[in-house]
Amino acid sequence: MAEEKLLLLKNIRRADYDGSLAAYRRAGGFTALKKALDEFDADKLVELTKASGLRGRGGAGFPTGMKWSFMAKGTGKPAYLICNADESEPGTFKDHLLIQRDPFLFLEGMIIGCYALTCNHGYIYIRGESIPAAKHLQAAIDTLYTEGLLGKNILGSGYDLELTLHRGAGAYICGEETALLDSLEGKRGQPRFKPPFPAVAGYNGCPTSVNNVETLSCMPFIVNEGAEAFKAIGTPNNSGTHLVSISGHVAKPGVYEVEMGVPLIDIIKDLAGGVRDGKALKAVIPGGASANVLKADECNVPYDFDSLAKAGTMMGSSAVMVFDEDTDMVEVASRTIRFFNHESCGQCTPCREGTFWLKNLVREFLDGDGDQTKLERVVRVAGGLMGTTICAFGDATGGPMRTFVQKFPEDFKRHFTMASAGAA
Amino acid sequence: MPTFYLDGQPIEFEKGETILAAARRYGREIPHYCYHPGLKVTAQCRMCLVDVVDAGNGNPIPKLQTSCSTPAAEGMKVDSQNEKVKAGQNTINEFLLVNHPLDCPICDQAGECDLQNFAFTYGTGHSEMEYEKRVYGWREVGSFLVLERNRCIHCSRCERFSRDVEGSHDFGMFLRTHELTFDTYEDEQIQHKFQGNLADICPVGAIMNRDWRFKKRAWKLKKTPSVCTSCSTGCNVTVEQEGGRIYRYKPRENQAVNRWWMCDEGRVGFHHLNDHTKRNVEPQARVQGKLRDVSWDAVYGAVAQRLAELKATGAQVVGLADTFATNEELYLFKQLLADGFGSDTVLYPHVEGRQQEQPPHDRVDPFLFTLITTDKSPNTAGAKALGLTPDTDGATVRNALGSATKVVFILGAPFADNDAIRQAAQQAALVVQIGTFHSRWQDVVDVILPGLTEVEREGTYTNKAGRVQRIGRALKPPATCRPQTTIMTELLGAMGKEIAPMHAGEVFDTLAGQDGAFKGLRWDAIGPQGAELSGA
Repeated sequence: MAEEKLLLLKNIRRADYDGSLAAYRRAGGFTALKKALDEFDADKLVELTKASGLRGRGGAGFPTGMKWSFMAKGTGKPAYLICNADESEPGTFKDHLLIQRDPFLFLEGMIIGCYALTCNHGYIYIRGESIPAAKHLQAAIDTLYTEGLLGKNILGSGYDLELTLHRGAGAYICGEETALLDSLEGKRGQPRFKPPFPAVAGYNGCPTSVNNVETLSCMPFIVNEGAEAFKAIGTPNNSGTHLVSISGHVAKPGVYEVEMGVPLIDIIKDLAGGVRDGKALKAVIPGGASANVLKADECNVPYDFDSLAKAGTMMGSSAVMVFDEDTDMVEVASRTIRFFNHESCGQCTPCREGTFWLKNLVREFLDGDGDQTKLERVVRVAGGLMGTTICAFGDATGGPMRTFVQKFPEDFKRHFTMASAGAA
Repeated sequence: MPTFYLDGQPIEFEKGETILAAARRYGREIPHYCYHPGLKVTAQCRMCLVDVVDAGNGNPIPKLQTSCSTPAAEGMKVDSQNEKVKAGQNTINEFLLVNHPLDCPICDQAGECDLQNFAFTYGTGHSEMEYEKRVYGWREVGSFLVLERNRCIHCSRCERFSRDVEGSHDFGMFLRTHELTFDTYEDEQIQHKFQGNLADICPVGAIMNRDWRFKKRAWKLKKTPSVCTSCSTGCNVTVEQEGGRIYRYKPRENQAVNRWWMCDEGRVGFHHLNDHTKRNVEPQARVQGKLRDVSWDAVYGAVAQRLAELKATGAQVVGLADTFATNEELYLFKQLLADGFGSDTVLYPHVEGRQQEQPPHDRVDPFLFTLITTDKSPNTAGAKALGLTPDTDGATVRNALGSATKVVFILGAPFADNDAIRQAAQQAALVVQIGTFHSRWQDVVDVILPGLTEVEREGTYTNKAGRVQRIGRALKPPATCRPQTTIMTELLGAMGKEIAPMHAGEVFDTLAGQDGAFKGLRWDAIGPQGAELSGA
């Protein structure tokens, strides 16, 4: 029986918690920051993070401590920590929950992260559409300045930190870290090729680390309770808890916090109330629209980075989308490809032309003009986007589109033309 | 030097150099669109994919890599021709043709189009894209260029030129996904004088030079390396002609002069070379007040006789040369006056050229804007280096003509629009012009000996920076005209001073053999990139 384990949502789950600074402090907030400033220097904090096994919660799952240790030193340039609050992966809404209901948890984690990188000016890049969340977050930041928890000489430690909240302008691709950096620099939000990596030359050519909201929100616990305590939760190489955004045909959609490694099917059944209206499960997208879909009988997989990768998909942003037996997966595929085609930045050939072509191909099926040749073409064209693009967008589109066809060919065949349906 | 291996071939590279850049130095072309040595790397077309089978550490890189952005490493092994790479190239080519219109029959780029060439070599030869292609609306961007956005393959070279080389960023990226487009803002037109470079760097027919459009198929053009003569910069160009008519000038790469670029003035500055109604075609002599066609032998004979008469009376001789004359011609001209008449009065119109255009701001490398000077002739520096007397305001020439001059030799058409000088010259007993184009000297001269244009003869010019550069023979001259060097040699011969006729190269080596700025240079060593004057 899967249960929530509350590290990040501990405060939010309390009915009387209002997310104010006072409430956060009463719940023990900002003790971690004090401890970090008093007992750690930047290098020690990075070592602590490495030891905890914390992996990025934005989608890539890269070990955070290792990422921080890659920051180039001795360049004479300022170091930057930039929080990626773009949260545009379809199906993901966990970061916004934290921002709107417990912003100081996130901000404390952000400040600790900035201190770990000796960053004196941090940025938060929030999705442009999130106006209420941005206002709420800005108010929280302003409060911290008033309270001396941001600005000069935080808590008398001698550490200075400016924090700037920047709103994006409506592009999913700006959630990609190098596109985010270009956007923050005032340019078109377009990914850069790597190398050079942001840790060497990122924001304005300076050493930069881009980290997710939830990742940074884990820092207060890690500082207060230690690396071992964090590692004790979860599975080997997949430490801690994580926030799962569940949506779709479930009885209780929402954000749930679970230990890494809980079976996916249990999260759906026990926490989200199972498939609604007594329907049978058909498919689950386990990690946002960029993740390959799983069939119903493939969902008894431990929900952590490594297990999902072994299962041929990914945990991504931990956005679980559940589809019941009445779902036409061709409609899901169509919705997905229309999204990716709309959001392609357009700079590189396979993605710009391939998403356009795929969108047209899938529409043919919905128009009742499908056939075996077109079905195979979807797989071929989708494959052409994988491994050939500047950023992961190509793989994020090609993989799911290919998998829809490979795992749900019957749904596509139901859209074949009358003539070819007979032949298929 | 560190070495990597491309298909087994060892390639030495500079630290930080990419696979593609190093390979190009060895003449190994990996297909690409967005890469250009004069522009920042964006690695966005994805055509230059290669297989790094060993990154230099014993391990392969699993995904194909863009060779334009991957730094070479010691011991790296790169395969650019295996099946994996070929499949990648097929894929990229196929995607490029998804929305590209099949305009080849009406597109000027055909025959020199990268997309055509690479589709032929690296494509599968058939298309499976059955849907309506995206279509952009028509845009006017100015009088120099034509923009056909449907053909664009989104390589972004045009934006990078506009932002980083020219600096105004008046042309750039708009929108995203398959609607991505390269355009000006709103109704703005591109204003600067370097627009032709955008047409050059566009790998397809999306940006075209309006002056050249619809005139001639590219594969019919015959190409001759030369230099532009529209100003004293002497940008290296390729003269492209067919059937005796020049259709286009394109810049030729020379890192010491113009890098990869040229200006629009020079680009369209060749049209008068096609206009035979404006040039001297036959030798002419003034008979009873009117210029009449005569034969070469007749005119040489008449001139020689008249010169002998005038010389006997101690007539002074003045030479006026323009700065479209080559170094060789200026040298021979001085010799003609010295050996023939003991005169060292040889003058030319000196223009102190200045940079004509300014960059839009100081954040861009201003190099491009140094290309156009206010000295609209190619050989001012040559005339100066050869010791001709400069005249900057007409006074020196008028003084020279005002004394007891009896003979004026004119090479080209210098000071043609200066009324005072023409009237002063009219007082002379004999005015002989060795010239190519009609000018107001027509009203004054007694003899015209028709020469060749800068695309019909060999020779060298000296540019504003003291660089000696060769012009090339792109067109056959009219049979009735002769090279200016030949005319001067024959004149000397007619006057009894036999010198063997010399090819431009021999004249150059003779002049370089003497003390002076040209000492030490050799015609054979000038090459397609030119050579600097010593002490220049």
